[in-house]
Amino acid sequence: MNNIIEIKNLTKQYKELKAINGLSLEVKEGEILGLLGPNGSGKSTTINCILSLLNFSEGEIKIFGKEMKPDSYDIKAKLGVVFQDVAVFEELTVQENIDYFCGLYIKDKAKRKQYIDEAIELVGLEEFRKFYPKQLSGGLLRRLNIACGIAHKPKLIFLDEPTVAVDPQSRNNILDGIKKLRNQGATIVYTTHYMEEVEIICDRIIILDKGKVLATGTADELKELAKIEEKVTVEVNHLEDKQIQQIKKIEQVDEVTYNGNILLVTYKKGKNNLVDLMEHLKKEEIKYNKIYSERPTLNDVFLELTGKELRD
Amino acid sequence: MAFSNIENSEKLEIIKIAIVDNEDFQDNEIWKEAFKTLSDKENEDRLFDTKYTTEEEAKQLLQDGEIVGYMKLEEKPKVIVQSSGINETILKQVTEEITQNSEIVSNLAENQIKKEMTAGNYTIDYEKIYKDILEMTQNQEANIENISNSNLSYTMIEFYTLIAMACLYGGILGMVAINQNLANMSHNGKRVSVAPTTKGKVVLSSILAAYLVQLIGLALLFVYTVFVLKVDYGTNLPFIILLGAVGSLAGLSIGLAIGTLLKTNENVKTGIVISVTMLGCFLSGMMGITMKYIVDTNLPIVNKINPASMITDGFYSLYYYDTFDRFFFNVASLLAFAIIMMILSYTSLRKQKFERL
Repeated sequence: MNNIIEIKNLTKQYKELKAINGLSLEVKEGEILGLLGPNGSGKSTTINCILSLLNFSEGEIKIFGKEMKPDSYDIKAKLGVVFQDVAVFEELTVQENIDYFCGLYIKDKAKRKQYIDEAIELVGLEEFRKFYPKQLSGGLLRRLNIACGIAHKPKLIFLDEPTVAVDPQSRNNILDGIKKLRNQGATIVYTTHYMEEVEIICDRIIILDKGKVLATGTADELKELAKIEEKVTVEVNHLEDKQIQQIKKIEQVDEVTYNGNILLVTYKKGKNNLVDLMEHLKKEEIKYNKIYSERPTLNDVFLELTGKELRD
Repeated sequence: MAFSNIENSEKLEIIKIAIVDNEDFQDNEIWKEAFKTLSDKENEDRLFDTKYTTEEEAKQLLQDGEIVGYMKLEEKPKVIVQSSGINETILKQVTEEITQNSEIVSNLAENQIKKEMTAGNYTIDYEKIYKDILEMTQNQEANIENISNSNLSYTMIEFYTLIAMACLYGGILGMVAINQNLANMSHNGKRVSVAPTTKGKVVLSSILAAYLVQLIGLALLFVYTVFVLKVDYGTNLPFIILLGAVGSLAGLSIGLAIGTLLKTNENVKTGIVISVTMLGCFLSGMMGITMKYIVDTNLPIVNKINPASMITDGFYSLYYYDTFDRFFFNVASLLAFAIIMMILSYTSLRKQKFERL
């Protein structure tokens, strides 16, 4: 697959602080690339540099094989951008807003009308065409924000945290819409700090922190970077130190922590770990309310790589 | 007119002065005639209440505070005052003006005498020549006074100032309009910045949108002054509207340029637009006509590039001159100023990237 975006050694500095530190990445045609990182990790700054909105100290950015500059109108005509902040006109209705922003790219009125209808359908705003932005809920407003950014059917779409502070129904709608866009042939760069989202929709994920790429790969490839294989959580009302030490001695157990009423047991590898633990608790007559097993998440990967939680 | 009383309250008070009635003064027709006219009790607009005294009496009157000053004519006129103030300044300026005029009259008389002698006429009536020239100069002065009184009043100048300031405050609209298209100033600006819309279109559409709003505001101002305040702009109204329209464009372009060239927040930009506008208005004499004179005399280039000065100068020229040359020069200068500001904005915007958003 062709590289749609190529970034080499990008560095952006704010006085003493390096917001982006020698970042290099490629985005391949037709993929959804997730940029995952906590707030302040450099995701939005990277997007703004790619779009030639921000100056950068060093590096090279190519889109569709050409250097991106503020007056690269031929490249800009193929881009769609959904910024983190909602950017619509309060004085225009849903349909008029989409029409205005789509009109910056598509001059043919008939074609534009068709595109507007498709965008409204994609984000599920059919019933709200005549509504003004102030009449929409936060989730619906986010959907309008997305429709304004993608109505012109761009080849490359940047979505910068489009699901921040939206209700679950709108989030599902947005994520479904993004998958549809990819299926229609668009290449998508998706930034978020919600690991569940990137696991659901991204083909490839880049984990960022302090402006650096920490790891790249598919969700499964990244999870292999985590040292643990399985994590079992048990809700126990009371545990003695002695009992905790006994659990640590169970085969394959890596770490045991007990905070509040939650016992967390992690395993480096092995099978039937959950069953073994349940048998041990029964044998020791330790009563528990809930017990469940989890595979490592991207948060565990991030924790492993940086020593801190993704949402810290 | 709603503000008709303004002018009455602004009338100058009659200034009490003394003239040393010495031989030099008595021998000089120009000076005698000038002060006679300026102190004529039958003229309600007279400038002076003049006492003709000896020098000792004049000194005493000055010490007693009965007069603001006195004039003594020797080889050269001498004005003696005890303090500085408006009345004292007026006495000095009038004296200087009469000195200049008396030189003109002397030159004219000299030329007339030469002409008579060249023509072979050696029986010259010197008194008649001086009287004719004096009459001629006095009539000219009367004519000039007549023109300005019938058309340009102090109140009208106030209205022109208001119109000019309204034009220049369009700068705020220009700045707000361009901010909607700048990535570092608004969320919508980010969207516009990543769209394939050329920066020329961005500048042009911003200025047209702001200009439309500004013209509506200006139209309302004219409607209000004409129909509510009953201001009579006379036959010059179309030219005043033209100047207002072009002045508004220049005002907008200032806001556009400041909005584009300065990479700071909206509040700071607004402050700068207001400060630049106010400074321009101040230097152009909108807050006191003396400032325009000072700037024109000492730093003429400032008012040549100052749009506020171009607007006020355009208004004044409509009344001071019979031809429209100077008026259209000001209109053209304002247009040129606006175009330069727009080109500057476009150039700056074309390659613009920001340090932070």
